[in-house]
Amino acid sequence: MTMITRFLTGPLRPSIEALRPVLYRIAYAWCHDPVLADDLVQETMTKAWARRAQLRDEAALKAWMVSIMNHCWLDYLRSRREFDDVDDWEDRLESGSDSPEACCNREQVIACVRAAVARLPIGQRQVLTLVDLEEFSYAEVAGILDIPVGTVMSRLSRARASLKNMLDAAAKKHADQPVLWSVK
Amino acid sequence: MKTFVSDESLNAFIDGEYDVAESEALIARMRDDAELAQRVGTLRSLQSMVRLAYAEPPQTRSWRSGVAPRKQFVQRCAAGCLILLAGLSGGWLLHSLESQRVAVAPMLMPASPAGSNGGFEMVSLMREVDPGKVMLHIDSAAPDKMKTVLDQAEHYLDQAEQQGRLIQLEVIANSHGLNLLREGVSPYTDRIANMQKRHANLQFVACSQAVARLKGEGQHVVLLPAAQTAPTAISEIITRLQQGWTYVRV
Repeated sequence: MTMITRFLTGPLRPSIEALRPVLYRIAYAWCHDPVLADDLVQETMTKAWARRAQLRDEAALKAWMVSIMNHCWLDYLRSRREFDDVDDWEDRLESGSDSPEACCNREQVIACVRAAVARLPIGQRQVLTLVDLEEFSYAEVAGILDIPVGTVMSRLSRARASLKNMLDAAAKKHADQPVLWSVK
Repeated sequence: MKTFVSDESLNAFIDGEYDVAESEALIARMRDDAELAQRVGTLRSLQSMVRLAYAEPPQTRSWRSGVAPRKQFVQRCAAGCLILLAGLSGGWLLHSLESQRVAVAPMLMPASPAGSNGGFEMVSLMREVDPGKVMLHIDSAAPDKMKTVLDQAEHYLDQAEQQGRLIQLEVIANSHGLNLLREGVSPYTDRIANMQKRHANLQFVACSQAVARLKGEGQHVVLLPAAQTAPTAISEIITRLQQGWTYVRV
């Protein structure tokens, strides 16, 4: 009976619900706004539940849900009307964040890295967080964001180069704080 | 000649996109190429820092990982039901107390007409108001208050006598109310003496603290022969309440 239910209704609620912390982490890394991240996750969970029958392979549940969240995020960005040309937004810099500064203890490193990630263009930020935080393969990221694998690689490369530059600049301001590069 | 390894390739390596053969080839090159090894190290550090930065994202609402909304909903429902139950039973209890009080209240109806009853406060620690133990408290020197407290006392006593009940009654005076029991000051010296004669179970109690304070102010204080003293009016009231007496403030 359980098998039939699973076949008919797709993944059961618990497996969707269990992904909430994962989705929240990604959403927060994308938008750096806890409230917005919460909304994105909630919207994603609702849509995922409504469309659960569309998922064929349960092993791909996480990637499938992140893909739904990506669409929610894009819808949100479009609703802000800051991007007239939708194809252009991916390389646009978010200018709202302060540049990373003091990086001398754990909390400051965290704040510093978040500030740096927040300054990355949205497209780069999405690729970087999906690869680093959830260890999605490049192919999975390409599927989630609906972009070619080559684009994933180039965005990731640019994202890490920019991140390094920003953090190096921050570290130079605090040259006597070598702990920045000793964090594992 | 060594070929330059692109950042894309190094990223692919640290992200586990290389197969075993490709990884081993790159690791072999890193042994001889310190700069290459450093570039890989830098990328790995960046990755570690990003992971650290989002290991504990700030939480907003009440959800926590591991607690499904359904479970929370059930918990909230249960909590809500408990509160509702507590409220209902509390309300029922108060209601029953109130009805008991109302049932007894006719025995303690004030002497004065209904229109002027508003000034009375009746307090009892007991579930059932005991109409046999009543204390009247006066702390004012207003003539009408003095008259009222005596009227009230007589009313209770007469009422109990008519109904054939035994009643203990105390009139407790403190603050300005002490004037009621002061020789030469009280306008009801004779009345109090008469009441005392008629009712053996009527007592007039003066607050010693109030007496001492008046004496401290240089006043000459002599209490009526009928008056007893208590260390303080408040302690007397509390003791009586604990003994099941009903307190009526005039």
